[in-house]
Amino acid sequence: MDIIKLNKTVLTVDDDDNLRNVLVDKLTVTGFETLSAANGEEGLKIILEKHPDAILLDALMPKMNGWQVLEKLREDEWGKTANVIMLTSLEQVDFIAHAMEKGVFTYIVKSNLVLDDVIKIVKNTLHI
Amino acid sequence: MPKKSLLAKHIFISLLVLVLLLAFIFLSFNLFRYISENNDIYILGQSLSTDVSFISIIVFLVIVGFLSYIVFYLISTGRTRIAFAIENVEIKSAMAEKQFAELYNSAPIPYIILNNNGEIIRPNKSTLRFFGVVPEEIVGKDLFTFVLAEDKDKADRILQHYKLNMPIDREELRMFTKNGSVKWVLISVFEINAKKGDGRTGLATIFDISEQKQLDQTKTEFMSLATHQLRTPLATLKWYSDMLLSPNFGSLTDKQTEYVKTIYKVNQDMIDLVDTLLNVSRIEIGTLSVNLESTDVPLIAESILGELASQITNKKINIVKQYNDSLKNIKSDPKLLRIIIQNLMTNAVKYTPEGGTVTLTLIETANSKQISVADTGLGIPKNQQDKIFTKLFRADNVRDISSSQSTGLGLYLIKSLVKVLNGNISFESKENEGSTFTITL
Repeated sequence: MDIIKLNKTVLTVDDDDNLRNVLVDKLTVTGFETLSAANGEEGLKIILEKHPDAILLDALMPKMNGWQVLEKLREDEWGKTANVIMLTSLEQVDFIAHAMEKGVFTYIVKSNLVLDDVIKIVKNTLHI
Repeated sequence: MPKKSLLAKHIFISLLVLVLLLAFIFLSFNLFRYISENNDIYILGQSLSTDVSFISIIVFLVIVGFLSYIVFYLISTGRTRIAFAIENVEIKSAMAEKQFAELYNSAPIPYIILNNNGEIIRPNKSTLRFFGVVPEEIVGKDLFTFVLAEDKDKADRILQHYKLNMPIDREELRMFTKNGSVKWVLISVFEINAKKGDGRTGLATIFDISEQKQLDQTKTEFMSLATHQLRTPLATLKWYSDMLLSPNFGSLTDKQTEYVKTIYKVNQDMIDLVDTLLNVSRIEIGTLSVNLESTDVPLIAESILGELASQITNKKINIVKQYNDSLKNIKSDPKLLRIIIQNLMTNAVKYTPEGGTVTLTLIETANSKQISVADTGLGIPKNQQDKIFTKLFRADNVRDISSSQSTGLGLYLIKSLVKVLNGNISFESKENEGSTFTITL
């Protein structure tokens, strides 16, 4: 199957290898350029170096969690307006409120969505 | 003391009777001696022999003595006997009262006698231990002043019920003690003196359930953590089977597609179960939040019917929609309302046999909004209808159908969520004819 290139780069930051890999695969076959990181520290480094168009950022991670990454990101000039989609496995009101406060585009409860819906959300974020 | 005076009176009368009897015998004996010395006696003009006279006089005197005793006994001791009977009752009553007082005071459960206003008249020792107080610190105070501020409304309602002589049976409250510790209790109150007005009293029992609550909390938190941890692998399974079913990496054979679809469906059932468990634990921990916003109920209903489409088609179930635009814009929590309708509809479809009918009605009346789901399914046996909203309940007549598909948490969750939304749920059901569940918001 031919892949139509979208010329957009999406970074996936998740400590769960399986989830990260399947997300990267789905993004790749959809036409995105992909980057990935297995923890927050590594993720922040890639974000600040590569300036991806969208970031799928898991909330609970070792070393540096998603909230800490977001905090640092918003301190950076470019990072202030970076497109962040938070990934979570638990839908909680305080989580959502915190995410919105930090200017997160939206959040994804992993087990609630099929991959096509995740792609739709990423595309909406990037106005594709 | 009345008891002592009664006893003295009885002894006095008994002695008097004895003295009089002795006096009769003494006089009889002396009369006999007089007659026997004169050797003759006349009765009704007839002369009797000494032997006959002697026997007759003795019999006469005994009869007179006996009759005197009977008359005296009836007049004098009759009252004494009644007094004695009363005295016995009083003694037994006093003993019973003493025994009751001992039992009451030494009972391991806190008992409190309340007056008509719910004020403490007589706490037992367990009550004093429970609150960590001496009687002076508690007697005369309203029992419900020891209720935690968060439960005050409930306490006021209980007090009103008590004043209206309505039953108060194992109501759950939090109470605080003198040292500031908070305890969960089950409180029951029943009337022990049915006098009207101020003379009326009630007996309150306080059952400390703090330990059970703590265990429950630990269990619920564990369940919450476990279900949270389960979500990540379930999401992984969902997305990998999703990828296998997509054409991105080549096609599967029909059989392989069927297998992967089964994996996907079973995994989705597990995700739904985990979601239910999470919601139940959120309700029990008290972390379930309600977000009231504009809610389109027909839209939610349509979306749920879409999800159930394959089951509805497979079972040839006739869906009757009785709704218009009336509930298109109500203030509610759409996510919670969705869980409620989804559970009701899923049950209706699951327990309705092939070719049956499920009717979904959404109506707005002057005072309320109603969501009703009716089916022509198996119904709930009459003897189990009072238990259907309890946790882990499954009706006997559906066990074979639902053993692997039901958690027994659905109706418990629905009822809890309806309560969170300040609504009511009611139902009518007849075995083998069907059930109708109605939610009023």
